[in-house]
Amino acid sequence: MAKLSSLFRPSTDARELRRQPLFTGMSWLVLLFLYAPIAVLVVFSFNDNRSVVRWTEFSLRWYTAALENDDIRRSAMISVQVALTATMFSTIIATMAALATTRGSVYRGRSAATALINQPLMIPEIVTAIATLAFFSILRQLTGVTGIGWLILAHTVFCVPFAYMPIRARLSDMSVTYEAAAADLYATNWQTFRYVTLPLLMPGVMAGAMLAFVVSLDDVIITLLVAGPGETTLPIYILGQIRRGVTPEVNAVSTILIGVTIAMVALTFFLQRKRK
Amino acid sequence: MIDVKNVTKRFGEGQAAVTALEDVSLTIPEGSFFTLLGPSGCGKTTLLRLIAGFELPSEGEIALDGESIGHLAPNNRPVNTVFQNYALFPHMSVARNVGFGLEMLKRPKAEIDSTITEMLDLVQLGEFATRRVDQLSGGQQQRVALARALAPRPKVLLLDEPLSALDLKLRKGMQSELKRLQHETGITFVFVTHDQGEALAMSDRIAVMSAGSVRQVGTPEEIYTAPKSRFVADFIGDTNIVNATLLGFDGDAAKIRFGEGKPLTIHTASTLLEPGPVHVALRPETIRVVEESAETALLRGEVVDSTYFGAGSQMLVRLEDGVSVHVQVSTPRPVGSRVGLECDTSMLHVLED
Repeated sequence: MAKLSSLFRPSTDARELRRQPLFTGMSWLVLLFLYAPIAVLVVFSFNDNRSVVRWTEFSLRWYTAALENDDIRRSAMISVQVALTATMFSTIIATMAALATTRGSVYRGRSAATALINQPLMIPEIVTAIATLAFFSILRQLTGVTGIGWLILAHTVFCVPFAYMPIRARLSDMSVTYEAAAADLYATNWQTFRYVTLPLLMPGVMAGAMLAFVVSLDDVIITLLVAGPGETTLPIYILGQIRRGVTPEVNAVSTILIGVTIAMVALTFFLQRKRK
Repeated sequence: MIDVKNVTKRFGEGQAAVTALEDVSLTIPEGSFFTLLGPSGCGKTTLLRLIAGFELPSEGEIALDGESIGHLAPNNRPVNTVFQNYALFPHMSVARNVGFGLEMLKRPKAEIDSTITEMLDLVQLGEFATRRVDQLSGGQQQRVALARALAPRPKVLLLDEPLSALDLKLRKGMQSELKRLQHETGITFVFVTHDQGEALAMSDRIAVMSAGSVRQVGTPEEIYTAPKSRFVADFIGDTNIVNATLLGFDGDAAKIRFGEGKPLTIHTASTLLEPGPVHVALRPETIRVVEESAETALLRGEVVDSTYFGAGSQMLVRLEDGVSVHVQVSTPRPVGSRVGLECDTSMLHVLED
């Protein structure tokens, strides 16, 4: 994650590259296709008209409509509830996993463990979704337990690798000497973690949590298959709505989602930059 | 008092195992400034980490005041460390860094606060208590690290090349500061360095190490004037190592001869050497230059170079067997002249190889 920001800092090589023919044009094309649709969506969310292709006048009526829509409010609440809970559990698990794969003595299978934690990022989500659906169906039948817990569990699981990456990155950058110094100064393992490792690791933990939150918030595929009745999250609701055509109301909700996501990502970068 | 008994430390397993320390035994007297001196890779830092508890010995035992501590975790040893890069906690103020040890020991707040004040005064950083660690200079960070390690009143303070990150002028100041702190607190200091000048200037006792074993332990004077082995003689200060023939032993002394010269009785580190060719150490400043024909000359040769260095000159004399010898003199002889070299036989030492 931290490496990403350095990509935007032009190095000497980058300056050379910028003089290559077509470079500027290509860059603008890429940016256009990446962000123009989003810009259009945002612009038309402020359109005082049912159409999403013809601009008439600025208005906040679709925001008002969206916020007054009970279905949207309910699904937003479910989304936030699932995302917050999944973020909390997955961040705790990811922190423990990061500690186990970077601290202490090297054990057999340590690099295998790291790979196993990251592997879900490589598996197509639809495969994970179907596998989770099948597996959870068995578990549901065996245990008889139903409810939103299953959805939260599914989200927790696929959020772990996202939370794990920045936490692990920060831990491996962090000198083990701090922990040695704490132990030398009579801190028990728990005190070392509580007073030294965790505070120093905090920017990484926060970054991991933000990432997990965003990933959980906008998940569609796994949620679509795992969610039970009455467990409609916001992305699932939007998906249902656009089957009947894109409405400015959906645009407004999407714009809010974009805003939340951008705020989260910006905060993540900010936290990672701090204390560097 | 620390007793290191037959400690061996291996890293890795089987074929890939590396032996960092090989059967090391050492006694560090209570209240002394003890230095582990040696080139990088000699095992001095490993020995320090074993005493601190960051590594556990593969074999052997470490005892502190008669109590075995070799297998305790670092937080259960009354031993504190000053790390090479200080390892001050960047998220805490200077005061909290210094109080950290006592805080972990759950001492009363009043005691912690008064100790912090006392320790910061001891290292002359009283007014920096509320500063953040990254607002301090290298020398100040060094002193905070010292205060932090001394605050819990450890029985032993371990210092892992703490001066190596400082520039020369600061380093000289910190050397006397460390001596003062050791004197004032009476705590046993175990100091690791590769700098022989630093070791000679600061230590009560020095253990010279190489390749995972202790080669010689003694006071700075003993180490300097009576090196036991060629390694120690070479590592400490400027030394001339010349060839001689061992004729035999006379009690604890060795009878040797330079070239075809007359037999001499001198110190030896070991009476186990076989008669035959041996190496003898002599320090440049103990040599006097005399006429080639002088009766007292032990060695003879030709001046091949002479360098003026202010307080005197250093002459390079090539002996008859081709070995070059450094000699410090106030008035050098001209290059090309033949000279005799004499020296008190008490300054000569037969070396183990």
